[in-house]
Amino acid sequence: MFSRELQVVVACLGSRFGVSLVFPLLQQQLDKSVEFSTPVTSYRSLEEGVFLLRNDFPVYSGGVVHHAPLLVVLMSALGNSALTSLLYACADALIAYQLIAMTRCFPKSKIPAWVPGALYVINPLVLLSSVSKSSVVFTNLAITTALLSAMQKRTLVAAAAIAMAGYLSLYPLLLLVPIFSLLPQEKLKVTFICLIVLSGLLLSSYKINNDDWNYLFSTYGVISTFSKIIPNLGLWWYFFVELFEMFIPFFKAVFNLFVVSCIIPFSLRFHDQPFYAFVLCLGWITLTKSYPTLGDGGFLLSFVPFFQPLYGYFRYSVISTLLFIHVIVLSPIFYHLWVDLGSGNSNFFYAISLVYALAVSTVLVDLVWAMLRIEYDNGTPNLNLKLTSI
Amino acid sequence: MKALLLLHTLLLVSFAELSTLTVDDELVILDGNLSAGNSEDNCVVNDPSFGIKEEEVVEEQEPPPVSGHFNPFQKESLMDYPFEERLVLRPLPRNFLLASFQFNITSDELSIDKGASHFNSYAHNTVFPRSISPILEHTNTRQLHLRFTHGLWDAESWGQLPHNGSKSGGTGVEIWAVLESDSKQAAFAQWISLANSLSGLFCTSINFIGSDKTSYPVFSFQPSGENSLPLFNENSKLYLVRAALANEPICTENLTPFLKLLPTKGKSGVASLLDGHKVFDSHWHSLSIDIETRCDDTSCKYHMEEFVEMVVHVPNALDRAEKPIPKPVEEHELRCDESKPHDVFECFPLPESTDREFELSKLFGRYILGTNLVSRSPSRVCAEVGPNWSALVKVGNTYFSTDDNCFEIKGDELHDLYLQTSDTAQVASSEDVPIYVSRSLTGYGQDGGGLRTVFKNPSNETVSLVYFESLPWFMRLYLSSLKIESEDGLQLDDVITNTFYLPAIDRQRPTHLEYNLKVPPNSTFALSYQFDKALLKYAEYPPDANHGFDIESAVVTVLSPLKYEMRTATLLLSLSTPDFSMPYNVIILTSTIMGLAFGTIFNLMVKKLVTVEEADKSNGSVGSRIIFKFRERIKAIFKKKVPLFDESKKNQ
Repeated sequence: MFSRELQVVVACLGSRFGVSLVFPLLQQQLDKSVEFSTPVTSYRSLEEGVFLLRNDFPVYSGGVVHHAPLLVVLMSALGNSALTSLLYACADALIAYQLIAMTRCFPKSKIPAWVPGALYVINPLVLLSSVSKSSVVFTNLAITTALLSAMQKRTLVAAAAIAMAGYLSLYPLLLLVPIFSLLPQEKLKVTFICLIVLSGLLLSSYKINNDDWNYLFSTYGVISTFSKIIPNLGLWWYFFVELFEMFIPFFKAVFNLFVVSCIIPFSLRFHDQPFYAFVLCLGWITLTKSYPTLGDGGFLLSFVPFFQPLYGYFRYSVISTLLFIHVIVLSPIFYHLWVDLGSGNSNFFYAISLVYALAVSTVLVDLVWAMLRIEYDNGTPNLNLKLTSI
Repeated sequence: MKALLLLHTLLLVSFAELSTLTVDDELVILDGNLSAGNSEDNCVVNDPSFGIKEEEVVEEQEPPPVSGHFNPFQKESLMDYPFEERLVLRPLPRNFLLASFQFNITSDELSIDKGASHFNSYAHNTVFPRSISPILEHTNTRQLHLRFTHGLWDAESWGQLPHNGSKSGGTGVEIWAVLESDSKQAAFAQWISLANSLSGLFCTSINFIGSDKTSYPVFSFQPSGENSLPLFNENSKLYLVRAALANEPICTENLTPFLKLLPTKGKSGVASLLDGHKVFDSHWHSLSIDIETRCDDTSCKYHMEEFVEMVVHVPNALDRAEKPIPKPVEEHELRCDESKPHDVFECFPLPESTDREFELSKLFGRYILGTNLVSRSPSRVCAEVGPNWSALVKVGNTYFSTDDNCFEIKGDELHDLYLQTSDTAQVASSEDVPIYVSRSLTGYGQDGGGLRTVFKNPSNETVSLVYFESLPWFMRLYLSSLKIESEDGLQLDDVITNTFYLPAIDRQRPTHLEYNLKVPPNSTFALSYQFDKALLKYAEYPPDANHGFDIESAVVTVLSPLKYEMRTATLLLSLSTPDFSMPYNVIILTSTIMGLAFGTIFNLMVKKLVTVEEADKSNGSVGSRIIFKFRERIKAIFKKKVPLFDESKKNQ
């Protein structure tokens, strides 16, 4: 059994690294596609950061670099492209391993431990996201590390990992709230460690960035104010393109509140299922973040296998599957029609981004509903009972 | 705001004064005198019939045909202002003609300690335009350079740009200035003030220059001449600021203010030839103003150079003058190749005739209305022609020629220039350009692309140059993608000796890129880099959004083997556009999805789960009970007939 898990991890490593080596141009193609790359996660922006850093140009004074300074420094240290490919493959393999380890934390689970990991490995969205060298991989790694460590009651690592995830892409910092439910006795400690680690990261970035705080806006400011308007699969871009200038600050606040809005409700309502609350919060962030990629969606879907007992309760499984397929097939086509051929217009791609939001939200709604049902049934599924909420 | 208002009033005042000045000047000119074409060293041809031949030119001195008028300007004159004007004509290959109008004006002495608050005090103005000096003083401008250029200079056939390219800009408007200021912020404020003032003065959109178009050149545009950069206040510094508007159309309304700056106002001297229609009909034209503050030990003066230059295609211009409405060439005027079959229906056209003779008045539609009358040195017209050309000046009905083909315009009689050649291909040779640079956009999508600049050094010397590029912020440049393509195996480090790069900030700063390049002899290479195109906000798109955005030309300053300056062509960048009819729909649709997700999840979480039956019964309100009873009735009716109905009801 153990060897099966090892096989999964090795397959993950091999597939990512292999694809990167065999199709070196695939990385650039994917990095240019809006589905897998955003201004804040794209590899070419990271490369630009490395280039500017090496040549002593200002890295965060405007420009196109929106990655955390430490990540840029790390990449600059690695240099060689085969090494970076290996790093991305390793990070992804580590995620697969952690998913397997998480399954082991549920001894009652009927699915074999290797299954979620294997599903992660063969998930094409995650595979392509990793091959595109999107920095989402590192954020995801930090998130899974935090989740796994919290489940294994390793407070220090969990808090540090969540701080790392927040440092890399801001919104995962919100996952601290469901982590509290995972570590109910150590809320203060978690907060404290998280704050220490985060401020340590920020301070060291400040030092690295020639004693300048300007990286804060280029990284987190850009994420929360959506100042780089580039099409993506999220809800933000077209809204802020089309919105009248005077309302923009207000709606930026609204959209940011929207990201935060469901985090505490999920954590409170599913306080007894903290793992579940964590995944729901992750899903909510995937739905509402300003620069989502399909990689985020793929990552979210990798947690669905854990909820195998709930499958019977899913009401929209067919619809959400179809919606996802719809998005994956049509989004490159519609984007191409709009941007390259000019025979379509922006509404084509906008429609796809709405469908994607709908797909993610149906998955979330289904998960919430299924968990409420199984709570009602006290853990033993009774699929015949018809329930409603009042 | 206050400053703007103040400036506005100031402008008004200066305009008012300007208009009075104009009247004065005109009076002066009308007053002036009845002089004749003087011919101290000129040769005179008396030939009333126009079709003169070379042989008929009598190379002997003859008395002027018209004489007996009193001419005070021949002697020491009171009208002795620091103003010079010149017109240089240079035929270019393929029947083109470069006409270059040059005006030099120097101001009276400035009082150096004049601060910004004293600029309104008494100042004496003679020929230096009254409208300019308050602007310069108010904004502490030490040097001002303004370029209005349009068209394509065909360097491969025409050779170097006039004045080594130092007087012509890229397509559109280009402006740079050296400002004295305490800090960069203050310099920028002065710059904006300067731009706004000039915008009104020259009828252009220079006021659209904001921080997103302004750059501070580091290697390029270095002001020449140390004595022209005085610091009036020792605590302040000089700032070089530059901006360009590539999409600015240059037209007649820009020429008029140019002429208004001259003491002659285009009413006499060579400036009287300038007619907006003709100037802007040309293939390439460039209007430029350079103002420098030149100081010696005791005093400072503004020195202004104004150039109006154009390249006209002579046959086209003449045709247009003769036949304003184009008609097909008539049969007897067709130049057919006689060696091939030709009749009414068939004609193999010959190349353009190399014989050409024309008068300047045909080309410009006007005559030179005498000399400028305000300076001691009379207006000059020079023809830089090859040996087989003849250039004659026509005063009244008399033709004169000189050895060096330069003519002084004297008196207020109508002057005209007659040029004739048997071979238009033989022109005064112009120097080859030291380097060819061309820039183009690559890529096909509207979400990204590349810039590719080809450098070609045809000479046997290494050319070192500065390449300056200022790109709008919505081109998100990836400098890491900089690549060199070269057949000679050149590497980036071989050609780029120094780089200055300042990335763009959205809506605040353009990308500012400067390279010091060394181009090896007889080599060609291309530098290219990639960029992403950002999406703009709805209201930031111009009305013709799908036309694209003009990218200003890159500036190439050659440092060695000779000083030369040139610009690449401007580029048209098309950005992807949103659907402009959608704002409300987008707000509604996005909000719906957000509401749907949030509403459904929130509903599920805050409500209690009960069985359907319990839900039906427990709802306390009267209305819901009535509906429940009603529903039960209907169920009872249908129960036996449609058993599935009940199921489906429950499912919901």
